[in-house]
Amino acid sequence: MELNITNLTKEFAGMQAVNHLNITMGSGVYGLLGVNGAGKTTLMRMLCTLLHPTSGEITCDGKEIFAMDGEYRKLLGYLPQDFGFYPEFTVENYLHYIATIKGLRPVVAQKRVKEMIGAVGLKKAAHKKMKKLSGGMKRRAGIAQAMLNDPKILILDEPTAGLDPNERIRFRNLISELAEERLVLLSTHIVSDVEYIANEILLMRDGKLVHRGTAKELIDSMQQQVWKCYINKNEVGHLLKKYKISNMKSDAQGVEVRIISEEKPIPNAVLEEANLEDVFLYYFGEKAGEENDMV
Amino acid sequence: MYFYIILEKRRVKKMIWFEMKKIFLKRVNQVVLLVLLAIVLVGSFLTIRDVKCYREDGTMISGLSAARQLRKEKNKWQGRLTEEVIQQAVAENQAVNASAESEELMLAGRQNLEDIRELVNMGFSKIGEYDYYVCDQIAVDQAADLYEKRLSNLKEEIIGTEQQEKIVFSQKEKEFLIRQYENLKTPLFYEYMEGWKALLDSQYLPTLMIITIVIIGFLISGIFSDEFQLKADSIFFSTKLGRNRAVGAKIKAGFLAITAVYWSVMLLFSAIVLGVLGFGGAGCMIQTGGNWYSMYNITYFQDWLLTMCGGYVANLFILMLAMLISAKTRSTVVAITIPFALSCAPMFLGRVSMLTELMNLFPDMLLRISKFLDVFLVCEIGGKVFGLYLVLIPVYLLLTLMLTPLLYFGYRKSEVK
Repeated sequence: MELNITNLTKEFAGMQAVNHLNITMGSGVYGLLGVNGAGKTTLMRMLCTLLHPTSGEITCDGKEIFAMDGEYRKLLGYLPQDFGFYPEFTVENYLHYIATIKGLRPVVAQKRVKEMIGAVGLKKAAHKKMKKLSGGMKRRAGIAQAMLNDPKILILDEPTAGLDPNERIRFRNLISELAEERLVLLSTHIVSDVEYIANEILLMRDGKLVHRGTAKELIDSMQQQVWKCYINKNEVGHLLKKYKISNMKSDAQGVEVRIISEEKPIPNAVLEEANLEDVFLYYFGEKAGEENDMV
Repeated sequence: MYFYIILEKRRVKKMIWFEMKKIFLKRVNQVVLLVLLAIVLVGSFLTIRDVKCYREDGTMISGLSAARQLRKEKNKWQGRLTEEVIQQAVAENQAVNASAESEELMLAGRQNLEDIRELVNMGFSKIGEYDYYVCDQIAVDQAADLYEKRLSNLKEEIIGTEQQEKIVFSQKEKEFLIRQYENLKTPLFYEYMEGWKALLDSQYLPTLMIITIVIIGFLISGIFSDEFQLKADSIFFSTKLGRNRAVGAKIKAGFLAITAVYWSVMLLFSAIVLGVLGFGGAGCMIQTGGNWYSMYNITYFQDWLLTMCGGYVANLFILMLAMLISAKTRSTVVAITIPFALSCAPMFLGRVSMLTELMNLFPDMLLRISKFLDVFLVCEIGGKVFGLYLVLIPVYLLLTLMLTPLLYFGYRKSEVK
């Protein structure tokens, strides 16, 4: 199974949401990282045939996905960022309906619905109406519907958004379990989500792929170093203007800051090992810090 | 291959079942259906209550007991309304008038021949100048000319005078109307028919049809737009059948919902009214009731079929259009306004004389067939003249069929932005 994205572009009212993108993906978990507006969701929607590209093409094992039509969507499992459902349906009903429109045979659908309800831990809530579920349970129902057809391509757009830490960890583990022998593309702006489970991370900015690699390769790609130091509170403003700050922690004595810089920012700064959050800030720092309050 | 076809059919049935569940599980839809049921019951009660008659002592009764008494009394005249029978009815009417001690007793005494009295009143009044007392004053011998008078009135007063009522007919239309009048088989058969008259000739049925279409509009307007409103569109369109059979299942579910609700309402209303007031008179020509000048030579049962089928076609067309709007605009609210606008607005716009003829072609006309059967609405197509309804029904049926692929292909190409 190979997805090949060639020169893919999507324009909205003259703005290029995805800009001449080229990616090839095989089996494995791919983490798609980028700030809001980077083009992640637009890319995923094109991969799910929900949006037509302005130019370029996407092929699955050499065949154009829009031409493949239902045959391509048969391979697909998708959990969108805004997971919409039918509020009056029970979880079981909802999954049966999705199984039907996924083209599963009734006997297979029956089996898979039961399996997936168990796999995502919704056995007790199977007869509850979807509108009565908690946020975490809804997301689990979402992953269950995406997995019903045992998809070869699983696309998850911000699957952990809005979940509490427990739910997020549980969800990450679930995705890891499901990731075997399929292509999983996971979009998020929560760095730790992909750090643990992605084999390869794709960094997107302004509709373009700015970097790709494993977590280690991305960390190694940083041209700057990470420093930790303690400063007085009145120095924070000055440092924020001058450097990319990946973390700040205040206490009674002052503030502990984590700075990304080519050279030692202040004399008492100590060199730290970089992590993926630092990489994120390194590549998207300006936007994250100034416009979107990210990281 | 056979197994595959069976499997596909089962799959589509299941999809339709889920779509129906989406419609009928919505709380707002359950509430409007209950409201509709209440309206049918109240409408039936009011329709039945409108049937009134006098007891021998001059007191008035209504509803079921009135229907029972009227059936008994009116069926005295059951049979062909020959010249002799009409003369006999006129003579008896005048005898009752002369002998009754009070107005109530007079009305009670002649209520058995009220329908025949009405025929004579309409037949011998000038068109547009209905005189309730004609039957009381006419010479008994003269009453024998009732059927000839119908045709002569048409020739002299309706199509003869071009200024009259601003109705101007072409030569072919005139020939058509005369032919229709001549084709009415006389003498007319008569029997008690209060049930059919109450059902078809009252205002309740067209009103109920309008309410029904507006309420079905509530039910079906969300079939397509709700996917977007609920943000369920991404998953729906990314599934294997989401851009083909699942869209077809939505259309079929819409069609089924329209059909089921419309026919349930109409059959329930008809069954209650006819069940209480009686099915008698189904074979009487509509001219025998209140439609003396109608150009449609049909019985009350045929009138019911025409009215119901016409209403159904109007429902299909207007509601399919609402579904199309729902799919295109992605807005349930906008779609809900379509049945309301198309069933009510033309009625008011039609009062503007400039727009009257144009409004006669609107689908709301099919919701009021029984009220327009005695209006001379004709149209000429390819040199042939037809009654308007015999053109409107197939035309709107055809338009409905044309909307279906537009809906299917339009929706399946939807993008999720």
